[in-house]
Amino acid sequence: MNEKTKSMITEARDMAQNRGIMASINYHRENSHLMRIGNNSVSLNTSEELTRIDIEVIQGRKKGTHTHLGEIDSVDELFNTILKVSEKAGKSAEMDFEPVLTVIEANVETEAQYDEALDNLNPSVKEQVYSAIFKNVGEDYNYSGSWSSGSTETFSVTTANKNSAWHRLTDQQFMCVLKHPEKMWELASWQTGTKAGDVTAEVTINEFKSILPTYENREGFGVEPGNYKVVLGSQAIGELIGMTVWIGCAGRMWEMKMGWTADKNIGDNILHPSVTVLDDPTSDQIFSEPLSDSGMLTRTQTMIDKGRFAGLLYDRNTASKYGKKATPNAGCLVMRPGDGPSDFLEAVRDIDRVLYIPAIHYMNMPNMSKGIFTGSSRFSAVLVEKGKIVSPIFSSRITDQFENIFGNVLAISSETVSVNTSNTYGRRAPSAVSVPTWMLIDDVKITDCADSF
Amino acid sequence: MSIFNDLKEAVTRNIGRVMNAGAQYSDARWYEDDSSEMLMLLDGNLEGNDTTVESGLGVRVLYGGAWGFAAISQTADIDTCFDRAMANAISASKLVKVKLDMGKKPGHTGSYTSPFKIDPIDVSLSDKVDFLKSVDDSLTEDWILRRMIRVQMQRMIIHFWSSEGTYTQKKLINTFAHMTAMALDKDKQMQRRSKTLYCETEGTRGWEMLTNPALWSGHADRVKTELKEVLTAPELEYGKRSVILLPGQGHLQVHETIGHPLELDRILGYELSYAGGSFVNLDSFGKLKYGSDKLTASAYGSITNSPGSFGFDAEGTPERDYLLIDKGILVNCLTSRAMISEANQRAGREVFTESGGASRSTAFYRAPIDRMTNVNILPGDDGTLEDIISTTEDGIIVDNPTSWSIGSNREHFHFGCEIAWEVKNGRITRVLRNPSYQGHTVEFYNNLTAVGDESTWVVEQVENCGKGEPNQVMELGHGLPVVKFDNVISGERK
Repeated sequence: MNEKTKSMITEARDMAQNRGIMASINYHRENSHLMRIGNNSVSLNTSEELTRIDIEVIQGRKKGTHTHLGEIDSVDELFNTILKVSEKAGKSAEMDFEPVLTVIEANVETEAQYDEALDNLNPSVKEQVYSAIFKNVGEDYNYSGSWSSGSTETFSVTTANKNSAWHRLTDQQFMCVLKHPEKMWELASWQTGTKAGDVTAEVTINEFKSILPTYENREGFGVEPGNYKVVLGSQAIGELIGMTVWIGCAGRMWEMKMGWTADKNIGDNILHPSVTVLDDPTSDQIFSEPLSDSGMLTRTQTMIDKGRFAGLLYDRNTASKYGKKATPNAGCLVMRPGDGPSDFLEAVRDIDRVLYIPAIHYMNMPNMSKGIFTGSSRFSAVLVEKGKIVSPIFSSRITDQFENIFGNVLAISSETVSVNTSNTYGRRAPSAVSVPTWMLIDDVKITDCADSF
Repeated sequence: MSIFNDLKEAVTRNIGRVMNAGAQYSDARWYEDDSSEMLMLLDGNLEGNDTTVESGLGVRVLYGGAWGFAAISQTADIDTCFDRAMANAISASKLVKVKLDMGKKPGHTGSYTSPFKIDPIDVSLSDKVDFLKSVDDSLTEDWILRRMIRVQMQRMIIHFWSSEGTYTQKKLINTFAHMTAMALDKDKQMQRRSKTLYCETEGTRGWEMLTNPALWSGHADRVKTELKEVLTAPELEYGKRSVILLPGQGHLQVHETIGHPLELDRILGYELSYAGGSFVNLDSFGKLKYGSDKLTASAYGSITNSPGSFGFDAEGTPERDYLLIDKGILVNCLTSRAMISEANQRAGREVFTESGGASRSTAFYRAPIDRMTNVNILPGDDGTLEDIISTTEDGIIVDNPTSWSIGSNREHFHFGCEIAWEVKNGRITRVLRNPSYQGHTVEFYNNLTAVGDESTWVVEQVENCGKGEPNQVMELGHGLPVVKFDNVISGERK
């Protein structure tokens, strides 16, 4: 971000302050690159350089927000946009609570997770990594995947004070899917990171090579509906814990009685004692977020402590509406590890039959009040008997409740891994969760199974 | 010179430049204006009062059989944007198995404007808020715990140029609206009932849609009445029975299990790592019995008033009305130019003769991919909803999704719905709570036993279809009648 832009934004903030306008101005710049792979080819190779300005203006119990994606070249142009948003806020309708302006707690300048080499990564590096995977694992398979990388830079000011927050980081999310062209099963490998070199061909080559022999020689297994012992892998845990906490521990959901914790109180035992979940900006397995939406410096908070309902997360406006204090939310979800071995096969060697489901496809919630979710197995899902992989399983549907999944825990891995949960809808906004590499659960409901992968 | 003329000169000059440098094809889309406005009343509070204005240029270059794409919001730097797109294409071309080809098309010019009377973006905020408040008032009752009114309005002015000499200009207007009422049932579970703004086929797409009580705002009383019935209703028991889908639910069934599996890029495996694939393959066309003889499905459908109607797709191809499924047999799918070229190469025969005009992009900064236009089930000859109920022995009627989860190849699905009405021996007997149903796509459509007539046919709007990487949200429509399926697993296994 150049100094001219920074000056333009702070000057516009000062002009708004002088006019008595309560405004926040957020600058968001992304430099994004994504390579997509389909049918062993690069199917899309994109670069996007986009700048957005978000403006929020509050007038008493009214507010208005505006986002401009495009060119703003002068202080006057920016200030005029603030005036338009102010006018919009004025014509808005009064609410029954006071919306709260972000108050940036302290001056912040962070770029600990920025790597210039990743920001400017040559697309040919990606092409070479995928090529190496195809060549080393076998070119007869069908490969697809995507590799997003880039940088996000934000600069925030508000008229509440003279503080400002500048934050820049790089991130990348890599995925490769191997599909057998005739047998149709799929294996997947995920990698994530903040620096060039965090993603390597070797990691994916080794992952694929270690499990391919099991798949090559086994037929698909159709799972009869019923209750099973299931080992969830890190991708599945990451998605499930994210949904469990969003529905159960977001202050807004709880106050509105929308989620599975609506009839629970802080201090209640709601999950298995081995489950602890935090919002932890200090974890090195997540993307850092120095400020909460209310402008507070982010700090570690506990939502689930050894199965006990320990805390709710309040954004600034929910806190105002319900008379609570905003919490310093970082959006850095961390599920603590257990004491299980690193290899899940070791943990299940005395169990007759276990389903290993590393990822859940297309999860949704038929009933938020009961915490019922549904989704289907995908990628490298296998039947395991006495600690040995027996066969890949056909696409199988889990329809169960959060309280059962995180309540019937039998064992949790002692190792954690970063699961990249970023999506690329709208603006670049890196996010990740830190979760155990596997979790063994009793009595998981399998409700349907296809006759294909 | 005007901004338009400056930009046109720079774009056409750069298209010439990359073509001279060896590109097979290039196009550029300039979003002169992409304005949207979202208003959301939550329990009467205007918590969402958001506007967004986007403008910029997206450039595609096809080189060596591979795509490169680049986008910029700073249109002063158009040469750089083309350079990046070209560099990306050159880099991509080093790893290409089947070389993409757009085929040859003569250039053409055209323009399209959505039918509308009042541009929704231009309506004053106070008028909008007053109207939405009045809708919210009509939804208000002591026993209703949560009310949500959400409106999304769009205006896009898009210019398109290609290396074939094509130039198209579009002005697209869309208006979406939802009302939802929620209350706790006898077991303290939050239940909801909602109504989404739908289209009159021959109507218009502006603010006037919203203020037509028949299409949306006049449904508040019915929403409240039905919600109240749900609160004390028994739960749907697990079992096999007939399921009658009203268009509020049927459109999502069609969307997820006809629309998505028939996107050619999914069929060819280009979405595998994200959204998934399709159980359909190139051998399926002309052979696969997708559904019963009663199932005929179309793309676009000459529906003038729908968010899936847009004149020309993101490759300049005019929208095209054609059948996807003809009396149960799969005959075509949703296609773009490069995908049909690849499909025909791979099949070694001409599976597809021309693009279906289904190349779409959500914004200037996203590359076009194969998307749904309007995917419709055509009306049948099984009469009205009452006629269909009268021929049902044991079934449920369901409306509006609460949840949807579909297998990665769209081969199986699970839907939760807001409400069910039990049907026994040809008549509605009671309301049921927490309905859900699941099935396997081909088996399900082959159990299609009744298709309602024109009187049951409406065009439902979808404003949030997600697909692609980078992710893209797209708006589209589904025209469909009431439909009945037999032997469907419904309710949750205990």
